[in-house]
Amino acid sequence: MRSRDSGQAVIETLLVSLILLVPLMWMLGVLSDLHRGALGTTAAAREAGSDAASSSGLANASVAVERAVRQAFVDDGLDPRRAVVSWVATPGFERGGTVKVSVTYPVTIVQFPFLGRVAGPSIGVKAIDLARIDPYRSRP
Amino acid sequence: MTQRGSAPLETVLSIVFLMLLVLGTIEVSLALYGRNVVAEAAHEGARAALELGRGSDSAAEIARSTVRRSSGALVRDLKVEVLPQTVGSMSYVQVRVAGWLRLAGPVPVPVPVTATATVSKEVAPR
Repeated sequence: MRSRDSGQAVIETLLVSLILLVPLMWMLGVLSDLHRGALGTTAAAREAGSDAASSSGLANASVAVERAVRQAFVDDGLDPRRAVVSWVATPGFERGGTVKVSVTYPVTIVQFPFLGRVAGPSIGVKAIDLARIDPYRSRP
Repeated sequence: MTQRGSAPLETVLSIVFLMLLVLGTIEVSLALYGRNVVAEAAHEGARAALELGRGSDSAAEIARSTVRRSSGALVRDLKVEVLPQTVGSMSYVQVRVAGWLRLAGPVPVPVPVTATATVSKEVAPR
């Protein structure tokens, strides 16, 4: 009977390690996605704010926000269709006023190796950028 | 069959395995962190080039120096490609960064990393 116990600790260690390893890798993946989502969202809000603040008017600013957010998400490998974007500017888009852009992106936390993400719970990451409208901007 | 000495041996094996696990986790974390740092550096470089550049050459130089400063020592053999462009009333700068992550861990294999950032700005009429 004694000889049957030999090597059991190794097997137990391997099993416990695997049980630890799977959630650990999952957590790493989720944290990485959250970090990437946060960086992408921050970049999108910042670029949208800067782009809108240097626009010549409200209509152009609206186009600029959409374009900047889409481009930033595409660059970071994120899906721009899932982003929720809202923005407000000083009435009349007055020179020296402000543009406030808010971008929210849901990061899916359920995913499997080689299968990718599946529909389920997500954590929303949000970024807000406040940019000053160029006070010396010439307008047509 | 005697079991004398098997417990220390199993302990050593377990510790080695767990050390590999911990160091591997740190290595993967560093790789993911490095990828995000390079992506952010590309954004910073593109925005700096667009705001501060006074021409294509100047924009490219600003983008390169910003990306190099932002990337830190984790990335080596950094290649920065800058594509400034003006279409109509819009000015664009695209920065493409490629490099290798220098990782220290149980598997010190260089990991390739790439990032692209595009920023735009409406050019003021003259």
